[in-house]
Amino acid sequence: MNINEATPKSIASIVWPAMPTPHAASLLAMQYQLEQTEWWSAEALRKVQLDQLGLVLRHAYETIPFYRMRLSSIGYQPKNPLTAEDFARIPLLLRSDIQTQGKALLSNRPVVAHGRVSSGITSGSTGRPINYYGTELTGFFWQALTLREHIWHNRDIAKRMAVIRMGLQNANHPTWGPPTDIPFVTAPCATLDIRTDVDKQVDWLLEQRANYLLTFPTNARALAEACLKRGVHFDGLLEVRTLGETVDQELRDLCREAWGVKLVDIYSACEIGYIALQCPVNEHYHAQSESLLVEVLDKNNQPCQAGEIGRIVVSTLHNSMMPLIRYELLDYAEVGPTCSCGRGLPVLKRIMGRQRNLVALPDGRRYWPSTGYKEWGGRLPIRQAQIVQRSLSIVEAKLVLSRPLLPAEETEFVTILHRSLGHPFEIIFSYHQEIPRSAGGKFEDFISEVT
Amino acid sequence: MTNMIRSRVPSLNWPGLPGPYGDAHLALLWQLERSQWWKADALLAYQMKQLRATLDHAVKQVSYYRTRLAGLDLTACATPEGWAELPILTRSNIQEAGPQLRSDGMPSEHGRFHEVQTSGSTGKPIRAFGSDITAFYWNVLTLRWHLWHKHDFAGKLASIRILDESIGTPPNGTPVPAWGPATDTAWVTGPSTLLNLATASVSQQAEWLQRESPDYLLTHPSNLAALVREMGPRTTALRNLREVWTISESLDANTRRFIEETWQLRVVDTYSSRECGYLAIQCPIADHYHVQSESVLVEILDDEGRPTEPGEIGRVVISTLHNYATPLLRYEIGDYAEVAPPCSCGRGLPTLRRIVGRQRNMLTLPDGQKRWPRCGYDQFMDIVPVRQLRLVQRSLQTIDAELVADHPLSDTESKALIEIVQQALGYPFEIHLVYVSNISRGSGGKFEEFLAALEPSKS
Repeated sequence: MNINEATPKSIASIVWPAMPTPHAASLLAMQYQLEQTEWWSAEALRKVQLDQLGLVLRHAYETIPFYRMRLSSIGYQPKNPLTAEDFARIPLLLRSDIQTQGKALLSNRPVVAHGRVSSGITSGSTGRPINYYGTELTGFFWQALTLREHIWHNRDIAKRMAVIRMGLQNANHPTWGPPTDIPFVTAPCATLDIRTDVDKQVDWLLEQRANYLLTFPTNARALAEACLKRGVHFDGLLEVRTLGETVDQELRDLCREAWGVKLVDIYSACEIGYIALQCPVNEHYHAQSESLLVEVLDKNNQPCQAGEIGRIVVSTLHNSMMPLIRYELLDYAEVGPTCSCGRGLPVLKRIMGRQRNLVALPDGRRYWPSTGYKEWGGRLPIRQAQIVQRSLSIVEAKLVLSRPLLPAEETEFVTILHRSLGHPFEIIFSYHQEIPRSAGGKFEDFISEVT
Repeated sequence: MTNMIRSRVPSLNWPGLPGPYGDAHLALLWQLERSQWWKADALLAYQMKQLRATLDHAVKQVSYYRTRLAGLDLTACATPEGWAELPILTRSNIQEAGPQLRSDGMPSEHGRFHEVQTSGSTGKPIRAFGSDITAFYWNVLTLRWHLWHKHDFAGKLASIRILDESIGTPPNGTPVPAWGPATDTAWVTGPSTLLNLATASVSQQAEWLQRESPDYLLTHPSNLAALVREMGPRTTALRNLREVWTISESLDANTRRFIEETWQLRVVDTYSSRECGYLAIQCPIADHYHVQSESVLVEILDDEGRPTEPGEIGRVVISTLHNYATPLLRYEIGDYAEVAPPCSCGRGLPTLRRIVGRQRNMLTLPDGQKRWPRCGYDQFMDIVPVRQLRLVQRSLQTIDAELVADHPLSDTESKALIEIVQQALGYPFEIHLVYVSNISRGSGGKFEEFLAALEPSKS
């Protein structure tokens, strides 16, 4: 049953149309609204975004010392309506600002009605870990946009999902999980840790007979290549879904060649949620303007035109705990022309962010590695890291530090890396002022030189 | 024009979060946005699923159905073929069943009971009950109607309708900050203003309307036609008016044309009843109507009880999908409708070309003022055993009250009825009670519960 034709779950005595539970109703209510706003013109969207950002700025000015200083420096007046010109004068927020400012970026009076505060650590696309904070409200928008993504691609929720990602157990779940199973009855979902050897992943997928596969692009590439090499076809596979890394045309073509299915990509970041989702009609992306304002800026900080590539700068519309205003993500995107689908949501033709190689182990296993940033990100003085596998036994840790590591910290880092990579490699350290991107604009936070 | 969803969360204006009740409205609209395009057979299949649940409830909780449906296989009943075999529920059945049609209890999520009294389209008063769920559907379908016709919620709405005595008193009416609970639960709306149709003469309405200069006007078709006749072509005083909306009575093609041509704007009509809610709403791109299949199953039947074909007129028979307070299953409401072929708009909701129901003439007071007449159904039901009533104005002083009654009224009952009618009409007319065995429809099939039979010179 395609999600657009499915009847949501309902209270006992009503079968159709459904009377969903309050949480499910709030998600569907937001879908109703998003299905209106996505067709608004770019100008209409920009106007309501600026109105909403006016509220965010006022809150940030009143409750966050960092922003009070920053906004005062440009003559910000909280009583005046926010104009596009005023907004463009706000200095960009760098990842290094977040690293150095720490809790000075948090509101001392988060809006109580926005719910409980949650936090996490992310390395982002460039190996620079930061702490981030959100609220139940930001979590709600995350859920609503997850549901939008399923609705846009009209997935059959009666079909099986398989997910191969970081930190997952090898398990079978009765549903696709939240938020999809809040309003809808779904088929089961099977999960697998991405650090499973690629050939074993292929065997596992053959057993699962999944209809949808969600994984990282690099892993999808390795799976497709392995299937082609082994002559394996996943019967019933309808779509490959990817997130977390850069997707290129070659990978899309490879998925078609190996399995005869399309690839649908998601562009998101832990600290801000969904940034852009693949269009239901075309293979480019639509910015999620109802959740954040996305700017693509050239080297003079001017908006890029269609066909130009620039830096992605986002402003969160609903995070009252840690608003990120004009935050430079360190990803790049090419601005696309207006989409033929008719949506007014801005178009990103392609996105250049993170890419990660597979790690190769001496016993022949290969898998998508973790760099362990969640463990060292909050504790060690590492501003940026790139891990390079030089051989089957040696791994180099290229680090940018805010101060030299103590011997105990070096030992701790080595222990974390051994655990993350799944093998006791010899770790050699090198220290740098900055670790640049590759020529193609992608940042590779794990590079393997082992062929 | 961009209608903005209301937000009840601080520091969040957009996208709006309207709160649990508003969410429930929008969540249902999300479903209706999809179901309206489904094919007729898919809609019918879902209706049958819901009616199966309603039947279950009716047999367990409503003594009338317990008897009526005794021994039937409910699963077989809840199929298109089985449904057609269920007996028709007439207004007389409802009158006779009385409290036996009220559910002994409802699932808690259906909320509270509320009573509904209506004369319907045939002057035969009945009593039924609704629930919070039926009220909720009423609100959501009101929203659908606005959204179908792209109404600008920022505009000003003027309503001339029957209101409680203390509201909307002429000449000034009652200003209200928003359009009402159906719309302002989830949307931010402009102001509205109310005038009581029961007490405002046509000339008072015209004066008020020019003063208020609304964007939209809502009233009964017969009243609207009288208003347009009174005011003539639209002047600059009504320059803001974008559309007029009609409710509660039949709107025939001639009246529609007369209003649209004289005022040079579109009339949008809805077909609803108090006991069943919205039955059909005018299509966004045509003058005909779409059945509200997500709330009611509507059958149009010929004299033999068979479904009519496009172009044929038949009896309207309704089954409410979600009313667990007084389930109305295969209820013959007393209206007639012409079935139309599928609509070019692409919606799968069945199409009705026209509805032939109630129509009302205007009352003329002795001073010559014209007024939309009330008949007092909501008051006399509990006092006198009248099954059907029609008022006929014979002169500026006299009214015939034609009535079908179980037995001749006693002196006390007659006196009570006369007082109620005088009060409802707003003038102490001389009321003559005329007993009849049946009150039939007019030649066009419309039932006129108030008939103006004045000599031309006297009107």
